[in-house]
Amino acid sequence: MRALAFFLLLLPGFAFPQAQQQPAQDAAAWLRKIYNASLKLSYSGTFVYRQGDRSESSRITRIVDANVDTEKLEALDGVRREIVRNGDEVRCYLPDIKTVKVDRRSRHPTFPALVPAQNSSLTDQYVVSKDETARIAGYDCQAISLKPKDEFRYGYKLWADVATGMLLKARIVNERGEAVEEFTFTQLIIGGNIDREMVKSSFAVQSKQWKVENAGVVRADLARSGWTVNPGIPGFQKVIEIQRQLRQAHRVSQVVYSDGLAAVSVFIEPIESGQEVRQGLSSMGAVNIYTRELARHVVTVVGEAPVKTVQQIGDLVEYHRP
Amino acid sequence: MKDRISALMDGELGQGEVDAQLKALREGGEALETWRRYHLISDSMRDSAVLSSGFSARFAERLAKEPTILAPASIPQRAQKKRMWIPVSAMAAGLAAVAFVGSMSSQFFNADVQQVAQVKTAERAQPAALTVVPMPGAVNDYLLAHQNYSPRSTLQGVAPYVRTVSDSSRAR
Repeated sequence: MRALAFFLLLLPGFAFPQAQQQPAQDAAAWLRKIYNASLKLSYSGTFVYRQGDRSESSRITRIVDANVDTEKLEALDGVRREIVRNGDEVRCYLPDIKTVKVDRRSRHPTFPALVPAQNSSLTDQYVVSKDETARIAGYDCQAISLKPKDEFRYGYKLWADVATGMLLKARIVNERGEAVEEFTFTQLIIGGNIDREMVKSSFAVQSKQWKVENAGVVRADLARSGWTVNPGIPGFQKVIEIQRQLRQAHRVSQVVYSDGLAAVSVFIEPIESGQEVRQGLSSMGAVNIYTRELARHVVTVVGEAPVKTVQQIGDLVEYHRP
Repeated sequence: MKDRISALMDGELGQGEVDAQLKALREGGEALETWRRYHLISDSMRDSAVLSSGFSARFAERLAKEPTILAPASIPQRAQKKRMWIPVSAMAAGLAAVAFVGSMSSQFFNADVQQVAQVKTAERAQPAALTVVPMPGAVNDYLLAHQNYSPRSTLQGVAPYVRTVSDSSRAR
């Protein structure tokens, strides 16, 4: 999202205010407002995540102040799970299997630093426009849509609170304009005094006895081990290239690309003896996953992008013995 | 026979039945006529673009000149009922169907030409037919790892982390 802000600075309407660019400029100003809200607002509420015929409620609480930026997500439907982010550390509590997965979110500054500025801006890839106003969870909202200029990305529609810029609803649409995924707040309180207990895991104490899986993320250079990963899609820039643990036993390489809104991860890991690789495609809402085998490795492409995009990125992966 | 052809078009037949139906189609006659009629119906229902006349013949001719890159794609199994998740997107299913029909046409028109392309010096993707497969076993690990670096996570806080599979048998 820092990346988004970064791109927003490059929006033509922002850089060259002109009368005829008023609508786009207005829409861009709204995106900046949403971004700023995402940096500073504390809130607590319940949202519904919809995807296909699946619909799930979750409780989310975030506290931002001078000392702390913490948030917690608690799934209210399906298998119990909690995600707590404390600064850059993300902990996923899974009580059913008595496991805590610990990972690091990318440090904010890495987004702008790693995404080259000169050849990318959100408006190169999307047509940004201001749409209707609507009332969501009791808030008057302004809708903003981002329509993709090519078939390599989905479209987005965002609804933000007119007063604060808080994002109340987000929808991802496919090339036929059908919603593939939607997040909507059904209840939300912005600001106010939020109890610190709300952002602590309810498993904080008992999880001390659980298994801890640490991602152990380190920077990596795949090219040195013979791998070439290149999305070959306009606007997709490399965000990060790392090595990490996955399922504890595996050492996996991960490269992430993003156009500022959509992101695609490429995972490369050696095939374990006896492991069966199911090559092909699977989907869950806006997320498509493309799996294939290459040079005795499994290449898994995961992204909230159309089938075509994850497949192309996967198919362009090459291995040359170093 | 007609319902077999309809099932064939929908990718609902097992491998053995597919072979039998393709054989029937190669023999022409009523099977082939039904096949064509069903496609005509399906095209008109979907408002598909009308192809120029003689397209099939030209396509078959060009296809015959090309080496077959892949072994025939596996037949997509009937979508497995997997509790509340994997509603495979319509688009994925559509693409799989296209890939399937594509591989079927190559068997149909090009039964005698089965060359396997030489492996190139660089190991690279073969243009694989899109087979719809179940989520990888570690899908939640991939999703969590991915989410950490998605700009959406900053935009919406930890909300997108809800995109993990909520089926307990998968939550490892």
